[in-house]
Amino acid sequence: MKRQSSLVSESVLLEKLIRRDQQAFQWLYDQYSAALYGVVLRIVRDDEQAQDLLQDIFVKIWKNLDAYDATKGRLFTWMLNVSRNTAIDALRARKTQPSGAIRTDEESVHIVDRQHHTEQPNPDHIGVQEVVNRLRPDRKQLIDLVYFGGYTHEEAAEELNLPLGTVKTRIRAALQELKQLFKS
Amino acid sequence: MNVTEYIASGILESYVLGAVSDQERREVECLSSIYPEIRQELDHLSTALEQYAQAYSVEPPASVKENLLKQLDFEKPVAPAVVRPLPVDPWKDGSPTFRTTWLVAASVGILVLGFAFFLVSQLRTNQQTVASLRTANDSLKSEVQQLHTQQSRAEQSLALLSKPGMRTIELRGNDKAPSGRMLVFWNAKTREVAVEVRSLPPLRPDQQYQLWSLAGGQPIDAGVFEAGSNNLAIQRLNRTIDRADAFAVTVEKRGGSPTPTLSTLLAMSPVDA
Repeated sequence: MKRQSSLVSESVLLEKLIRRDQQAFQWLYDQYSAALYGVVLRIVRDDEQAQDLLQDIFVKIWKNLDAYDATKGRLFTWMLNVSRNTAIDALRARKTQPSGAIRTDEESVHIVDRQHHTEQPNPDHIGVQEVVNRLRPDRKQLIDLVYFGGYTHEEAAEELNLPLGTVKTRIRAALQELKQLFKS
Repeated sequence: MNVTEYIASGILESYVLGAVSDQERREVECLSSIYPEIRQELDHLSTALEQYAQAYSVEPPASVKENLLKQLDFEKPVAPAVVRPLPVDPWKDGSPTFRTTWLVAASVGILVLGFAFFLVSQLRTNQQTVASLRTANDSLKSEVQQLHTQQSRAEQSLALLSKPGMRTIELRGNDKAPSGRMLVFWNAKTREVAVEVRSLPPLRPDQQYQLWSLAGGQPIDAGVFEAGSNNLAIQRLNRTIDRADAFAVTVEKRGGSPTPTLSTLLAMSPVDA
């Protein structure tokens, strides 16, 4: 995979980024912007807001590169978490705004449901998409609810009308399955 | 602690999904830095989720990248740039340029104001000078005029007095005009007569002094004259006198009388032989 081949130079890249090297930033953007945009778009489901958020996210990444600790996790994971948190915060802020479009929890479920068939998959990731589609639908739904919807275990349990223990077990099973799927 | 049990508890999966409390998150981060097995499992789960997330990749519009490249502060490339931009970039921050412009504008404004003030004060000084010069000129002119008048009178008097046969008779006031003094000039040959009032009391507007010549006991009108202060010069009288034993002055009505009013006689003096 393209991204993994570049893993070797991640520390070099990071060093260049901290030096505020423009080329390194361009490379970082070209490499990850599509994935981050996809995540943000999946969370906020609004092109314009997603674009604004993506810009904010890259500014945040740029400004907080010093805070990234390579010993705690992978750079891409860190970037994904920044994106996810930013988008979920924006989504919650939008929901609490009384004048904005009011989404009930019921609508949120529909949004999560729609996620299965709305986005056009990026041609670069068709192989990945196929792998993802092999994931069991109930597990996939849970991952999407927690990861893209920002649901806690309790909220997910309530949403899906499942016992909390079942949700926890299913989350573990989903990620283990995902891990196995991508290992092969 | 039992690492395998911890890995199997499902907390690492919840951690990568971002569905843990702050305390749990710190716990996972701490344990993963101690136990390589936990760290490895975490990396596998993260990688799997990264790939899952990548499955939804959507290419963002190019405008986002353009905006970011404009917005972020990059280091200037060091190696290829032989000619480096000046350390102080005037476009980096608008305020110095603005401040400079403002300062220049203000300086120019102050200079222009100062110069205008200078011009106005200069103009005022010049106007004052011109005005005082004009006044001086006017007073000089009138002085010159007076001098001219005085000179011509003096010339006339001199011409009159320098003729041969001119005699001077001094008249002094009587008790009616104790301080009165005047001179009478008479030339028997040319019959001309003139007076020079040194001091005579002022008269009412309808009155005038009149000079009489006495010849053989008969008073003869010798003409009227003024006693004003500006008549210090010699006044030539419009009469011809060929004989005179004495001269006398009376106060008469304006224009003179045919015969002297004796009650107003002020002075009288004989013509010395």
